Amino acid sequence: MSPSNMQSTNNAVRANWRKEFSPEGMKKFHEYADEYPNKRSALMMVLRLAEEEFGSITDEAMQIVADLCNVGVSHVQGMVTFYTHFKRPFHGKHRFMVCATLMCALENNTDAALKQVEAKLGIKTGEITADGLFSCEKVECLADCDKPPVVQCDKEHFTSMKGPQLDAYLDQLLKSEGKTAADYQGKPGIKMDQRVPTLPSHFNFPGESQVGARHFENKDAYSPEGQGELTTKIPGALATPLTVPVADGVNGANGALGSKHNAGKSHGSNQNGAGHG
Amino acid sequence: MAEEQKPGNPGAAIPGAATTGAVSSAAAPASPAPAAAAPAEPKPRVPFSPVLLKYINEPNSHTIEHYLARGGYETARSHVGVTEPATLIKLVDDSGLRGRGGAGFPTGKKWSFLAKGTGKPAYLAVNGDESEPGTFKDRYILERDPHELVEGVILTCYAIGSKHAFIYLRGEFILGFERLHAAVEAAKAKGLVGKNIFGTGHDGKPGVDLTITVVRGAGAYICGEETGMLSSIEGGRGYPKIKPPFPAVSGLFGCPTIVNNVETISAVTHIIKHGVAWHKQWGTEKSPGFKIFCLSGAVKKPGVYEVPLGIPMREMIDVYGGGLKDGRKMKAVIPGGLSAPVLTPEMVDKCTLDYESLASLGSMLGSGGITVLDEQVDMVSAIYNTMRFYHHESCGQCTPCREGTGWLEKVAHRFHHDEGHQGDVELLADICKNMRGRTICVLADAAAMPMQGFLQYFKKDFEAKIKDPAFVEKQRTYRDEISPKAKTLSATGAGPSALDVGSEMAE
Ligand SMILES: Cc1cc2nc3c(=O)[nH]c(=O)nc-3n(C[C@H](O)[C@H](O)[C@H](O)COP(=O)(O)O)c2cc1C
Ligand code: SF4
Repeated sequence: MSPSNMQSTNNAVRANWRKEFSPEGMKKFHEYADEYPNKRSALMMVLRLAEEEFGSITDEAMQIVADLCNVGVSHVQGMVTFYTHFKRPFHGKHRFMVCATLMCALENNTDAALKQVEAKLGIKTGEITADGLFSCEKVECLADCDKPPVVQCDKEHFTSMKGPQLDAYLDQLLKSEGKTAADYQGKPGIKMDQRVPTLPSHFNFPGESQVGARHFENKDAYSPEGQGELTTKIPGALATPLTVPVADGVNGANGALGSKHNAGKSHGSNQNGAGHG
Repeated sequence: MAEEQKPGNPGAAIPGAATTGAVSSAAAPASPAPAAAAPAEPKPRVPFSPVLLKYINEPNSHTIEHYLARGGYETARSHVGVTEPATLIKLVDDSGLRGRGGAGFPTGKKWSFLAKGTGKPAYLAVNGDESEPGTFKDRYILERDPHELVEGVILTCYAIGSKHAFIYLRGEFILGFERLHAAVEAAKAKGLVGKNIFGTGHDGKPGVDLTITVVRGAGAYICGEETGMLSSIEGGRGYPKIKPPFPAVSGLFGCPTIVNNVETISAVTHIIKHGVAWHKQWGTEKSPGFKIFCLSGAVKKPGVYEVPLGIPMREMIDVYGGGLKDGRKMKAVIPGGLSAPVLTPEMVDKCTLDYESLASLGSMLGSGGITVLDEQVDMVSAIYNTMRFYHHESCGQCTPCREGTGWLEKVAHRFHHDEGHQGDVELLADICKNMRGRTICVLADAAAMPMQGFLQYFKKDFEAKIKDPAFVEKQRTYRDEISPKAKTLSATGAGPSALDVGSEMAE
């Protein structure tokens, strides 16, 4: 196995990590933990809590969860990579999940929805916009098969998401971020890179596009020694440092992308590092 | 837009679901069966109106006020701490209720298998993972009538002597989770869940305690498999465990555990309330009662329909579903969720919706997700999509499943691109044969069964997609030249070797 992104997060980065949840988060944690016979079994719910606290399950969050639930970080990472619905740092701030299983895919519903997303945001499945705001993936059955295509985005669930309805929603999302479809025209998406370990900066500055969060300009960071250095420090409510992961990341860990298919296909480009501008 | 009902306009909120109550009660064919129900029905038809989904189209049906106003929790109140638990188990056993999660195992029997006198606590784990493609019934109970489930949980826990129930929902059910969580909290506030529920524990009588924990999964089909779900609740990857020991002996945290589907547990309340005879008036002898079916695909009115078991499949499609849309012709029907082998139109004519009829046709009732495929559907692409699903969802513990699902996907992918090789049909059949019955859980079977069904009934569709034999032969000769090993393997006459599959790995 390749070294995990957990191991690759260097100590300088760790020194800056938050060490615990917010007080409200801790209160919720105790509520969950009290209901279970042991703390380990509260993991599913605590990971959801971490998702809320950090905006996505970062390395930092995994460390805190592991400490809280008395398990190793490797166990937590094993879970996070097994379950596909947890939001991870490599996903966009708004994460489109389009059902691609048979009932939705009949009559071309899935492909039509994906095309519409691509037309507005310029991203295909498994890709993320350059500013990290939107990502799109195919997922398996979302259990609303009578009203295809089914789409989930953020915490919302949509049925019959086609034509004007989907367009209207996309426009609304774009507007909420202060963007227009024109901002994404002619800009191809970037393959989601599973190695991004910590929270990307755009979570701290909603609406502002940040460079360096997800797609790394500094190619030297992929040195064989694998000592990606701490590059920037982000002030703000969730002050999490930016890190640059080492070359050999957690590619191919249990299909963390919506569809294994894409995960497989993106393999090659991940190896070279996502050094897109 | 989110699945919220607009008060005063319940019907319009969700077109598919809205038909539920209305159609079932209006069109539920009363005694003289309509012409569509041609196959002889031994019992005269007893009129039926929805039970589990009766209130889902009413505004605020998910609130405790609404539930109490329609006599909710009265059944639990009259039995908890009063009736002998063994009486309740016997009642459910006599009612003939069968599990609605897929396997159709008799519920009362399962409860009676619960290991007793182990000195360990017993648990109830309710399976609300609902990840079988084509199934969307539990969603309506969880989102529109969660208290119905909570009351079922209270009664079931009392009957099996459990003090702690877990309800596991799939991660994608965000609204369902919120509403069920709120329902449990509301019941707690009213003393229906918690310590000494329903005012028990007075006058020297023992108190009854119950904790209900709602767990949210995170997008893994395999967490619908009962032991996989238990692994997930225990805070790990959703890896199924080898059986035996069955959960009823050693399940959650090594303690005796009963696993039941959401619909099964919700039905328990009604069966205890109305009695065995009431439940048995519908359905067939071996499949008594009613069940929610989920209709999707090329029908005019897809949606959830609660009907008595044993009605003809044609009635479901033509009467409830309104027939095929745009005058299309039916090509096949997937009768019980994606893992159920397909039925051809001729088989559909013979089929009734009960466990035995579908088993006799080589398929299964499964979770009740009926998908109608019309003649426009490319069967080979459909099976490719199906195989991709299983490959994605295999947990990876067992080699036949992990590798087999991948191989099936890759070979189906070739067909999907009109590039099937000579002998690929046999190869697919061979992979399926080698996957079944050799794994920890039955996901491998669930993946192989649809493929076998498609191969059996739609072999021609596959054969039509085999690429020009001469081309394939040329490729093979080339490969034989560069790889002597491939030559020896294919020279055995066993058709294309595993290397053929391997060569597609790059796809
Ligand atoms: C791969 C697989 C997936 C399953 N998914 C579900 C599911 O999503 N929901 C469910 O209730 N049962 C599911 N089951 C069936 C459960 O293992 C179990 O039989 C059921 O929850 C028992 O409840 P019942 O007796 O009430 O049917 C699945 C089984 C397998 C093998
Ligand atoms: S059969 Fe497949 S899904 Fe089931 S335990 Fe084995 S590998 Fe996992």
